[in-house]
Amino acid sequence: MESQTGDLRTGGDTNAMSENLERMAERMEAAASLFERTVTQLEERESARTGEVQKMVATVDASRESELQKKLEAAEQQIAEMRAQMEAQVETRGESRIEAQARSARKTVPAATAQLLAKQGISTLETVEAGALDAALSGLSLEQRIAVKAQLLRAGVVG
Amino acid sequence: MKLEAMAVMLPDVASHPNRAPFTGVLTLVDEPSTKPPSGARGHRVILTRAAALEALPSLLGMAVDYAPSWDGHDARRKCGIITQADVEGTRLRVAGYLYSKDFPEVERQMQQCASGAMGMSWELADAHVEDMRAEVWTLTRATFTGAAILLRDKAAYRDTSFALGAARCRTFAARSANPEPAAAARTHRNFRDGAGAAFRMNEKGKDTTWNHKRATCGQAGIRTR
Repeated sequence: MESQTGDLRTGGDTNAMSENLERMAERMEAAASLFERTVTQLEERESARTGEVQKMVATVDASRESELQKKLEAAEQQIAEMRAQMEAQVETRGESRIEAQARSARKTVPAATAQLLAKQGISTLETVEAGALDAALSGLSLEQRIAVKAQLLRAGVVG
Repeated sequence: MKLEAMAVMLPDVASHPNRAPFTGVLTLVDEPSTKPPSGARGHRVILTRAAALEALPSLLGMAVDYAPSWDGHDARRKCGIITQADVEGTRLRVAGYLYSKDFPEVERQMQQCASGAMGMSWELADAHVEDMRAEVWTLTRATFTGAAILLRDKAAYRDTSFALGAARCRTFAARSANPEPAAAARTHRNFRDGAGAAFRMNEKGKDTTWNHKRATCGQAGIRTR
């Protein structure tokens, strides 16, 4: 039992050590790349001051071209994304507009009014003739007639 | 036309199996490069005529190399040697030998590619730029450390060229009554008007000049006129 505990402890220590080592290696790698960059910058600064260039090759600068190519690709991707976003926005706006139109086209009146109208023989609200409406509402009081007509006006059934 | 020439003399060996003569235009002088060379931080460059002339000695004996993709330099693939360099007008012409037996792929490429498709590129060290803030860098001093054969459109100068067997490199071994030591001798000549035949062989005038120089100098080695 004790030996198992010891093994576990050793295993745990090893894991911790390897993690530490990995972390150290990463930090050293980062430091090395930082150091390289600094050296390059210093060299560039020095050469800019003196006008000296250590090495030059009369081939097309492939690294620069690839760098520009990458930038171009990134820009194109960004444009594509923005275009897609804009199209999506336009679609959403279009849909909401259509919905709004549909909503406005939908002619709904309160259930009581609908029932009242149905009793008077007006079952559909798509087209209501003025004469038929007046005839249907003739049995109602003036206030009721005004209220029903106002509701129909709000619903867009009558203009 | 003014022509400045310089050459390394190699002994003539008839039908050498590993020597294929070449000529080419390595670069243009006093003209901006078509594209920025590698190492010029995005600047196009102008190699001045004076800098090119001053650097001619450093070019002789340098290797020509190639990359398998024919798009750049590979200093570990040295497939030939430059033995002659002339500045003729705005063109810096070079000539030399390819190690054709060792690098048959170069000859194969030259046979397969379209005429005029191949060009050349220099490699410079310790270049001095007149003004590093200038849009086009002017190189006032440099040392040639090598050259490459590559596709013309991969070169920073579009008007370079490379051709095999168009001319033979100058060699003076057969011209002298006394055998020339294998060690190279060198001449530096300044030609004026109509002297564009620096790459031509067997010219009586040059033979006479050469023999006269040999007689007066009486030694092998570097000769300068």
